[in-house]
Amino acid sequence: MLVFDQLKKNDPPMRVIAWVAAAGLFVLLAGLWYVQVVSSHRYVENLKNQSFRTVRLPALRGKILDRRGAELAENVPSYNISLYLEDPALRAQFQKQFQAAKGGRKLPRAQSSELARATRYQVVSNAVQQLGRVLQQPVTLDAARFQTHYQQSLALPLPVVTGLNQLQIARFQESSSNPPGLELEVQPLRVYPRRTSAAHVLGHLKRNEDSVGDEDAFYNYRLPDFTGVAGIEAMFDENLRGRAGAKSVLVNNLGYRQSETTWTPVEAGQNVFLTLDLAVQQAADRALAEARTRHPQTRGAAVVLDVRNGDVLALASSPAYDPNLFIGGISHAEWAVLSDPELHPMLNRAVYGGFPPGSIFKMVVALAALESGWNPTNVFRSTGHAMVGNRHIADTAPAGDYDFRRAFKLSSNAYFIECGLAAGVDKILAVGQRLHLGERTGLTLRPDSPALLPTREWQHENKPAWRDGDTANLCIGQGEVTVTPLQVAVMTAAVANGGKVLWPRLVEKVRAQELVGTPAVRAASPARVRDELPVSARTLEIVREAMLADVEDADGTGRHATVPGWRVCGKTGTAQLMKGRTVVDHVTWFTSFAPYEQPRYAVVVMVEGGSSGGGTCAPAARKIYEALQKMEKADAPKAATLAGTN
Amino acid sequence: MNERQSRVDWLLLLGLFGLMVVGVLFIYSATLAHETTSIPWHRERWFMQIVWYAAGTTTAAALCLVDYHTLARWALVAYWGMVTALLCVLIPGVGVMRFGARRWFDLGFFQMQPSEFAKLAFILALANFLSRPPDELRIPANFFKALGLIALPFLLIMKEPDLGSALVFLPVGLVMMYAAGVPARFLRRLLALVGMLVALFLVDVLFAPPNWQIKLEDYQRRRLLVYFGRDYAAGKTGEAEQLKARVQQRNDSYNVEQALISVGSGGLTGKGWRQGTQNALGFLPRAVAHNDFIFSVIAEEKGFMGSVLVIALYSVVLFTGIRIAGQTRDRLGKLMAVGVVTLIFSHVFINIGMNIRMMPVTGVPLPLLSYGGSSVLGSMIAAGILQNVYLHRRSY
Repeated sequence: MLVFDQLKKNDPPMRVIAWVAAAGLFVLLAGLWYVQVVSSHRYVENLKNQSFRTVRLPALRGKILDRRGAELAENVPSYNISLYLEDPALRAQFQKQFQAAKGGRKLPRAQSSELARATRYQVVSNAVQQLGRVLQQPVTLDAARFQTHYQQSLALPLPVVTGLNQLQIARFQESSSNPPGLELEVQPLRVYPRRTSAAHVLGHLKRNEDSVGDEDAFYNYRLPDFTGVAGIEAMFDENLRGRAGAKSVLVNNLGYRQSETTWTPVEAGQNVFLTLDLAVQQAADRALAEARTRHPQTRGAAVVLDVRNGDVLALASSPAYDPNLFIGGISHAEWAVLSDPELHPMLNRAVYGGFPPGSIFKMVVALAALESGWNPTNVFRSTGHAMVGNRHIADTAPAGDYDFRRAFKLSSNAYFIECGLAAGVDKILAVGQRLHLGERTGLTLRPDSPALLPTREWQHENKPAWRDGDTANLCIGQGEVTVTPLQVAVMTAAVANGGKVLWPRLVEKVRAQELVGTPAVRAASPARVRDELPVSARTLEIVREAMLADVEDADGTGRHATVPGWRVCGKTGTAQLMKGRTVVDHVTWFTSFAPYEQPRYAVVVMVEGGSSGGGTCAPAARKIYEALQKMEKADAPKAATLAGTN
Repeated sequence: MNERQSRVDWLLLLGLFGLMVVGVLFIYSATLAHETTSIPWHRERWFMQIVWYAAGTTTAAALCLVDYHTLARWALVAYWGMVTALLCVLIPGVGVMRFGARRWFDLGFFQMQPSEFAKLAFILALANFLSRPPDELRIPANFFKALGLIALPFLLIMKEPDLGSALVFLPVGLVMMYAAGVPARFLRRLLALVGMLVALFLVDVLFAPPNWQIKLEDYQRRRLLVYFGRDYAAGKTGEAEQLKARVQQRNDSYNVEQALISVGSGGLTGKGWRQGTQNALGFLPRAVAHNDFIFSVIAEEKGFMGSVLVIALYSVVLFTGIRIAGQTRDRLGKLMAVGVVTLIFSHVFINIGMNIRMMPVTGVPLPLLSYGGSSVLGSMIAAGILQNVYLHRRSY
């Protein structure tokens, strides 16, 4: 070494000093190597922890639209004013006031920090009051809320006013005396513009900022976000919610925001297009609501199905609720209304629960009997009631002579018990099974229920002693059989379309948000056939004719469903809910399809607490048919031009 | 003497110049984010530092005009002058109180810290004293006189209090005595005694019950506790007491922790000049970033490479110093050079060691890199002494 060579050989102390100095510098280098290279990652981690705050950014939720692109659930901008506490002007003001308050005294630490706290609030509170003067409305800032924000989320802006109207936005933007640190911000707000319409289909949201999927699990802050808890909002949550992004905010030693960078950009959620038609849906909602204006205790459901392809055009349940209530936080009073033990407004009666079908089940009995050789022209003499074993079953149809058509339109219990018993319970159950009663319809809505068809297996487990009396009850849709309105719609559609049992369809397509806009007239989606009824065309025609008579004949029970221009085919039903031997409630039905010549739509209306199928439900169905006619009329010219260009 | 032989040690000058460049660059970086409203450029710290470098260089050059043998004749005058200054600084009204210590004279344009100059006067005086024939150093009386020379400024500076500066006197004195040839047995005993005293002192501070402890400034005691990683809350009863102790501990260890984060997060290559966040975001306190903790700014922005550069520059200075000491043909020059080298080494070791928690936190500046008039002047005078010894070395 240069140095050591020149040291005289006879001067050992100098050599020692040189070596000690070299060793000392080497120790420093080794220490630095350890800190800066070997354990650097630890300090980098510490640095990140103390100077970065990660924030989860919720993505813009996808819209839910009807088949024509009308928004059923969308996002509207909500204008807020937020206060950025790191604003230099605010901090300078704080320093000024703080020094003035201290007045040059030297305070103990606790007292000084208390004074700083108070001064800080005062400065911010002044700014907020000044904002109030600009907006010409009093704005206040709760001291406790401010201190919490200051301590816990200083890196984020503090929302001061939310939901500004246009006038206030204009005042704020045009004012020259805005206090420092305030910024106008836009936040998307979920809105259901049709309020209660299709509420049960759409579902609703709840506040939830949890990380989902492969997102980062840890964030310092999470901005408000929502997840679906019912309906399409829940079933298609994954598509609708998009992908949350992340930004990191650089903060200084006091925790004030310095700058921010977006690490993961948000990906907006996809739009979900439903098969619903808004106009038809609203007609169905109105029809059910009208029943409720007459009898406030009624509950009901309506389903409109395209019999050609199984598209659900309307799916209504009553009473309905407004999903908008869940966005801003629901009040106790509102929640109490929604959890009414009698009305259960949150329940989607179109797909959930099981309701006794009453006389509409006679359609199943008719198909089974006719297929097993029952002669529809045979005349049967009714005594006005039926006796099976020692069980007496009343009949609303008067005593007299009945053939199939007359029995069907007057809904004779005696006749259908007779022919049902003649065909045998197994035949009836076989048709019911091919119609997939007692099974879920496969619609993407939860919760849904399979309802109940008392198959042989079910009988074996639950009612080993199955008697003719039970079969008789089954023939008139009472006792051990329940259905959902949607199942009835699928059943009716099968009768209408020549025996195809379809999977109903509610979601048309899922599209990225940018690709809004959908052709007004769509090519009809192919039907998804679940099953073919093992029933001859002749049998179906007999039933269809009988259904036509039920509506068109003057004495038909469904005559109130008559619509000018369309020949409607229908069947009424009124099931009695018994408690012991007394009737406690009625479940009234009207199931139908139209037009008779070329069936296109099946309409099912069910009302709990109604007076009768013909009196309560048939008029409701008529209103829905009128809406369907209007819809077709509106589509017609476009369809014509489209056909013309082909 | 060979006329062609270089009269100036260029390598030493190069090392010093390198340190000055690094100093200006990083004082600029460290003070960049200061929030004070715009001050004129000629009042900025980095410029002030250049002014001090110039002043220091001038002083050093002036010092080289006078042969160090002549300087040594004034050593005792300088020494007693400094002792007087150290006494004066303790008088309230004359010395200025800052951060709880009385270490400064307020000269209006600058706050002078006499202890920086006391170190140099002490080196001159001790070198002068020890340069007598080696035989005389075997006399215990002379040994004790030398000890007295060390103890006087040491105690005065302890009184300010400035433990860090005071402690620097011990290695400088010891190494000079060792180089002068003071009998090894004296030194061994001295070392043993000092070691025992230090051990006793530490045991007392760290473990003894409160009323048995040596009276120490509270912050000094806490710095030691931090260095030895002691839990403040230990021995405290009651939740409030413990909480308070822990908050205190966090505050006290804050500087060291932030310095460590700065140095460690620099990694191998650093974040780039002026890109350090620790200082810009205020995690590294702004009051110390440009002086006592300037090294952590360099280490953060230039990484381990930067640290190596700094150490390399210091080793150039130190080893040229050692070479100068080895080339002198008289004991006075050699002892002066050894004293200066030891002084610079102690500062470098203590300051950088403090940044990586190898040493407790003391207010010892990093020569030439830390901002500060007294420190820069002192360092430049020290370098001037080295150069002087080189210039006026006697050749046979």
